[in-house]
Amino acid sequence: MTDGQQAADRFILFTVAGTTYAVHSHDVHHMEMIEEVTRVPNAPPFVDGVVFSRGHVIPVVNLRARFGFERVPHTLRTRLVVVQAAAGRIVGLIADEAREFVVLPAHAIQPPHDTLAGLSGRYLQGIASVGDRMILVLNLERVLDFGAIAAAGEPPVADAASA
Amino acid sequence: MAGRPRNTNGRVNNGGAQLAEAHAMRSRAEHVTGAASSIARIAGEVFAGSEEQRRSLDEVLSGVNEMTASLGETAKQAESVSGSTEQVVSSMNELAASVEQIAGNTTSLATSVAETASSAEETTASIRNVTSLTQDMTTAAQQVTVSIAQLASSTKSIGRDTDSLATSVTETAAGIEEMSRSITGVADNASELASASEETSSAINEMAASIEEVGAMTESLSSAVEQNALAIEQMSRSIQSVAASGRKITDVATGAASNATQMDRSMQSVAALAKQGDEVTRRVAREAEDGGQSVQKSIQGMGRLRESMAESATVMREMGKRTNEISGIVDTINLIAERTNLLSLNASIEAARAGDAGRGFAVVAEEIRNLADRSAKATADIAAIIRALQEVAHEAVASANDGLRIADESNALAESGAAGLKKMMGGLAEVTTVVGHIARAADEQRTAAQAVVVAVNGTAEQARLVATSTAEQATTANSIVQSTGQMRKVAQEVMKAVAEQGRAARDIIKASQSTTRLAAQVRRASSEQASSAAQVTQATNAIRAGAATTARALAEQVTASEQIARSAGALNRTVTSVSQAMNEQATATAQVAASVNSMRRESEQAARALKEQSKAVHETSVAAQNTSKQMRLITHANREHSVVAARVLDQLRDIRAITERNARGVSETQGNTEDLLKMAEALVASLPGESTNGRSAAHGRTATNGRVGADGRAATNGRAGTNGTSGKNGSSGKNGR
Repeated sequence: MTDGQQAADRFILFTVAGTTYAVHSHDVHHMEMIEEVTRVPNAPPFVDGVVFSRGHVIPVVNLRARFGFERVPHTLRTRLVVVQAAAGRIVGLIADEAREFVVLPAHAIQPPHDTLAGLSGRYLQGIASVGDRMILVLNLERVLDFGAIAAAGEPPVADAASA
Repeated sequence: MAGRPRNTNGRVNNGGAQLAEAHAMRSRAEHVTGAASSIARIAGEVFAGSEEQRRSLDEVLSGVNEMTASLGETAKQAESVSGSTEQVVSSMNELAASVEQIAGNTTSLATSVAETASSAEETTASIRNVTSLTQDMTTAAQQVTVSIAQLASSTKSIGRDTDSLATSVTETAAGIEEMSRSITGVADNASELASASEETSSAINEMAASIEEVGAMTESLSSAVEQNALAIEQMSRSIQSVAASGRKITDVATGAASNATQMDRSMQSVAALAKQGDEVTRRVAREAEDGGQSVQKSIQGMGRLRESMAESATVMREMGKRTNEISGIVDTINLIAERTNLLSLNASIEAARAGDAGRGFAVVAEEIRNLADRSAKATADIAAIIRALQEVAHEAVASANDGLRIADESNALAESGAAGLKKMMGGLAEVTTVVGHIARAADEQRTAAQAVVVAVNGTAEQARLVATSTAEQATTANSIVQSTGQMRKVAQEVMKAVAEQGRAARDIIKASQSTTRLAAQVRRASSEQASSAAQVTQATNAIRAGAATTARALAEQVTASEQIARSAGALNRTVTSVSQAMNEQATATAQVAASVNSMRRESEQAARALKEQSKAVHETSVAAQNTSKQMRLITHANREHSVVAARVLDQLRDIRAITERNARGVSETQGNTEDLLKMAEALVASLPGESTNGRSAAHGRTATNGRVGADGRAATNGRAGTNGTSGKNGSSGKNGR
């Protein structure tokens, strides 16, 4: 977390369903263009399947599905953002596009409002505003909660238990 | 010598009756003289009447001359009318129909002229009669001349014989034979006297007959004049009706002239309209031609448009293909830009992970990312433009296809329009030709109409002139009618005078008959005397000296007879000249007959022509075009009028010549009557002398017969036996008494 504090000022921006989200750059392993997703049986609804990337088989989470939006076909701009989740687990996130690398000052990021409590509030680390743009800074741990992911394969009770 | 007193006694007895007869004869002779003088007077009146008749004939002649001149003038004017109407005829063929109309009109005139011809024929016949009668009269006059010569010669010889006898009696108072011989001569002379008297009577009868014939001839002449007057009146009426017709024709011609003027105006407007139509049609034809050319041009332009549209469609399709290629290239560029962006992001991530060492590298990665973003943005713009371009190219291709289709349709439409225009141009050309024809025809029509107007105006003018001269003709005809009336009156007076002449001639005849009777009595007495004288002759045979004297007296008598013969020859010559004159009259009559025949022929022609004229006048209301032919026929009729008038003139001249010859004959009759008068006077003069002589001679003779014969017998009985025979004769003569 301290590492996260130190490098907290560099972020990758990506958009899903028109909204710009930000993840910390040291959480991002690398990014690539999505090519072929191999669907896996009994995967959670927000997991499209698995891809082979840099010698590793990694699961692919569809953020539209994860955030409760409708799915859209992949385009040239569709990106697979490969992140290093807790305990060294690597997960691929499918965003509509991801093209910016920005530095956000710490004071620009505010904690989510109380009114945004609930599920949305749990996924957000804070909200930053740059110029007239509103950027939602994701709490990647919560988004990529393994328990929840496991619950996707296993019973969701485990996810509730870990929460 | 002793016998003389007895002779005187005997004269008283026997001479008493002879004296009374001589007295009666003298009174008859005086009566003859009076009658002859009355004949002379009447002949003078007849002569005066003939003169008057000749004067009136002269007037008639001058009137007919005027009429002829006016007819000639009318003919001239009518000829000029005819000339002008010829033009009308060339324009108006319909005029031919009116020829028969004018033919009907002249029929009535023809009838009247035919009547004139018949009357002229009658006149000719009567003139022939007159000629034959005149010839008869000539013969009679010759006979009269001969008998009068004989009468004169015998009378003169009687006078001379008696004179010589008286001389011889006075010379030879005792020469009774001579006296007796002289008595015998006296007796012969008396019988000659009687026969001469009879001949005179018959000659006077013949003269009276010829006078009566002259009277009858004059009557027929009067009736001929009457008929001529009637015919002239009819002709005058006909001329007046012709004048009325001429006025009507003038009215009609004037109306026709105004109609022709209106026609000319309308024809001019028609010609102007036709010309306008021609111009309009030509303009339309020109415009249609221009339109056809522009349609052809538009068809050609349409073809070019179609070609260019097809080309542009092809180009558009090509451009669409190229745009698709460009779109692919843009996609590739876009992919490259995206990959560059991705790579720069990953580099930034690596650089951030490397900390301070990767700081420069991070800057480069950011610049690369910026470049890639710019190129991506540019390719996005290019893609948008290419999309719009593709849409536009698609629309252009569709539009080009539509344009192509429309161009094809327009081409078809334009070609059918061009075909229709071609047809229309052909029709327009025909219309132009036809309209040009119409314009030309209208022009010609207008020219013809103007000619018609001119001709009709001329016709109207000439018709007016004809009407004027016809009116003058009517006036002249009226004056002729008046002169004819005067002529008629004169002829009636002449007839009356001739009748009086006839009456006087009858009186003369009566007187000469009495003379003849008396002459017969004288002859009887003379024959008795002669028989007595024969006895006396025997008794006077002895008286040779008296015979010689008597021979001398006879020689003298011969001389006197020769003289008388000469005068008789002169008389005969006169009579011959009269006969010649009569022959000339006969020739003139034959000429008159010939001219009357020709006049009748001309009259028939004139009748036909005037009939036609009459019909024309009745139907004058027919169209003005008919006027020209009517005018022509009027010209024809006028010419015939002139000819007829000339004939009438000739006839009238002949009549005048006959009248002059009549006057000459009358004057000769006058001369003859005067001769007769003279002779009658001579007879009267000689009668008392002869009767005195005769009385003494007769008495002497009778006494000698009565007594001296007895003495002679007694005296000559001894001398000659012949005397005894005469003495017997004398006694037988006495017994006869």
